[in-house]
Amino acid sequence: MKKTLLPVILLSIPGILQAATASTQLEGGFKVGPSIILITILILFVLVGIFFRAKDTTDFYAAGRGISRVGSGMAIASNWMSAASFLGMAALMYGSGYHGLAYVVGWTGGYVLLLILMAGQIRKYGKYTAADFIGDRYYSKSLRAVGAIIAILISISYCVGQFGGIGLMFKWVMGIDYKLAVIIGGTVVLTYTLISGMLGVTKNMQIQYVIIIISFLIPLFILTAKFDYFWLLPQIGYGSVVSDVVAGLPINETKELINSLGHDYAIVPSPEFAMPWDPSTGKTFFQWIAIAFSLMIGTAGLPHVIQRFYVVPKARDARWSVVWGLFFISILYWSAPAYAAFGKILSAHPEVGTLAKDAIVVYTAQLGDIHPLIVGLLAAGGVSAAFSTVSGLLVAGSSAFAHDLYYKVINPNASARKQLLYARLATILMAIIVAVLALQSFALIGQLVAVAFSLAGCTIFPLFLLGIWWSGSNRQGAIAGLITGGTVSAIAITYFIAGKSGLQLPAHEFISYWLEAWYFAWIGAPLAILVHIIVSKLTEETPLEIRKFLIEKVHG
Amino acid sequence: MESEKNDYHFSFFKPTTESSRRNRNMVIQFVLIWAIAIFGFQILLKILEKPTPEPAYIVYETYWGDIQAGNIELTNLQNVGQSALSVLGKVAIEPEYRQALDNAVSWMAWNIADSTQKQRLIVAVKEFEDIASVTEVITDDLYVGQKNQLIPILQEIFNLHPNDVRGKIAALEVKSSLMRSFNTESRKIFEEAMELYLIHNRSVLTDTKFLGFPFHYFYTAVFLLILFVGITWLYCVRTDMFNKKYGIED
Repeated sequence: MKKTLLPVILLSIPGILQAATASTQLEGGFKVGPSIILITILILFVLVGIFFRAKDTTDFYAAGRGISRVGSGMAIASNWMSAASFLGMAALMYGSGYHGLAYVVGWTGGYVLLLILMAGQIRKYGKYTAADFIGDRYYSKSLRAVGAIIAILISISYCVGQFGGIGLMFKWVMGIDYKLAVIIGGTVVLTYTLISGMLGVTKNMQIQYVIIIISFLIPLFILTAKFDYFWLLPQIGYGSVVSDVVAGLPINETKELINSLGHDYAIVPSPEFAMPWDPSTGKTFFQWIAIAFSLMIGTAGLPHVIQRFYVVPKARDARWSVVWGLFFISILYWSAPAYAAFGKILSAHPEVGTLAKDAIVVYTAQLGDIHPLIVGLLAAGGVSAAFSTVSGLLVAGSSAFAHDLYYKVINPNASARKQLLYARLATILMAIIVAVLALQSFALIGQLVAVAFSLAGCTIFPLFLLGIWWSGSNRQGAIAGLITGGTVSAIAITYFIAGKSGLQLPAHEFISYWLEAWYFAWIGAPLAILVHIIVSKLTEETPLEIRKFLIEKVHG
Repeated sequence: MESEKNDYHFSFFKPTTESSRRNRNMVIQFVLIWAIAIFGFQILLKILEKPTPEPAYIVYETYWGDIQAGNIELTNLQNVGQSALSVLGKVAIEPEYRQALDNAVSWMAWNIADSTQKQRLIVAVKEFEDIASVTEVITDDLYVGQKNQLIPILQEIFNLHPNDVRGKIAALEVKSSLMRSFNTESRKIFEEAMELYLIHNRSVLTDTKFLGFPFHYFYTAVFLLILFVGITWLYCVRTDMFNKKYGIED
């Protein structure tokens, strides 16, 4: 009944029109300063990419294994800190409060699992890609092919959110339509990836990390100083912002501070921003736990993350690069909630209206009346974050196709030149698919990226975990586990897409809640592991040479 | 041949060497710390939580029955109006709830106002609505001027101090078309909105402050990340030590 009244109501309330004008004001038209910053950074990326161009397939896949620990840590962080971290996390906290912290914890806590359970062992195993490992460990060409296909699907799923972020930032900077912005941004990132190849990308990633983190932190220092909080360490200083949101901030306490639209820096008490699983957010305790868990095991199963460990010279370097990588990542993750908290107060006035959550980082800086060039740098940082991840993902996806699928399964006689050609063709095809999906705007960036994590958690994670730590894990178990994880994934994703298309499948509400697209791994992964173990125990044992290799080389 | 076939079995829980055993114990230790720190704390938060209403909800709950019965005193109606404005000041209210809340505050403003105030109110609201409908930017002088004329009238009606941000919110939410009636359906949605937006899960963990943060927020958003970096660092240091001790080459 409420819904039938809505259209009438919307037409009858002039206030709705005001809301639109406020956000339009923030969006603005073409922005010269930010455009120059963005173009300069992109040219810098491409030039560095050309300078460190991939010369052969070994370079293209694994950057010649010549990267230092700190450098590799920076590359891990840059590769990791995508539009989901830069834009999406603040969006989730801005929209769903404490629920958004499940993403912060999930996307960092997974590195602990990755390090303790896998990093060193993966490097010792000595393969180039995730599918390489799966094919070799489970002595099966078919599984290698399936592993490659899953890696491609994960890369595509992960990239969709990134293209969404690139589109939003290009839209903001250039003042153009979102769809056109996705196409332009996608074309630029594709060109860049094709030119630089893996070695260039790795070198670039260190530069990109510096740009991402500086562009993210500068506005935060300014915001905390400007609104009279402890600015020397904004990652702690914003704690008082959170408390102000919870308790409310009367006008007389804000010393005539205003946002860029002239509204007082004030807010009514809004505990829903910080209180756990607040009813008004529509999120529950179960969802918090399921998201954190799914993201963590997904982290330890993402092919493009695992692939980073092949680029360090030794297992010890692989381990230490995780520590550095996690530290560099955490700098951003400690900071992102601050944007959500400031965004909450600065957009509290109803006149601001509904803002695109995924651009809240940039809107917050704008509402805080930060210099347009610095806001431009922030937007460029967002693009940079998406770029570095997309390029890594496209490489992971294309190498899965050219190396694992084409060379290892379809045509073992293919020359290195032909493999590289196929890798590049796969990159182009993936970018087109991703752009088409990104144009649909299915969900928030963070949520779209979380789909890839659950997919990885249900499929790749069990194969690596059991493959490394249990010699009894065999091909039959792997196949059964993959079928289980794959089925759970297929059900969850089918219901998600059906829901977005307006279709009601049987038990839609039940499945959508318990197997939502961004956390279905909470049950999919344990089930896949269980089935994998049972079937392995019931079937013939793993060949001796594999067991020998595991004990002598991986755990020796 | 048969004995070789049965060799080289390895499992995380059944390590074959002293170094593997130590590594297994270390992994179990760290995973336990990791899991308890993350999930244990959230479970504790869940166990301790209690649905806690905001003061605005308590006021609403106290006088809502009187409003429904049609015998509310003006001061109390003002208080309930303030409570409704407390919800409207929150970011991201669902449109259907906003509509019911707008209806409530518009109707309350009209019923609180005396005849002189009513005349001033309806004129000011309508003029503001006319200007708002043609205004393109909210910083427009005419728009801001008209809004500033409406604000003091509503502050007076709802008895709001000039420092109270709700006075400025009221100017945007009171609608001329919603003043005269507040029907049963709207009242039902209004009740839902008040309950949904003004009751929160709180406990000693959420109400204790630490470094300016609500404690639970600091723990999850700041401390857990420090712990993760700490665990990974310690794991690497200890693994290096073990490897050196057992002469394991990486």
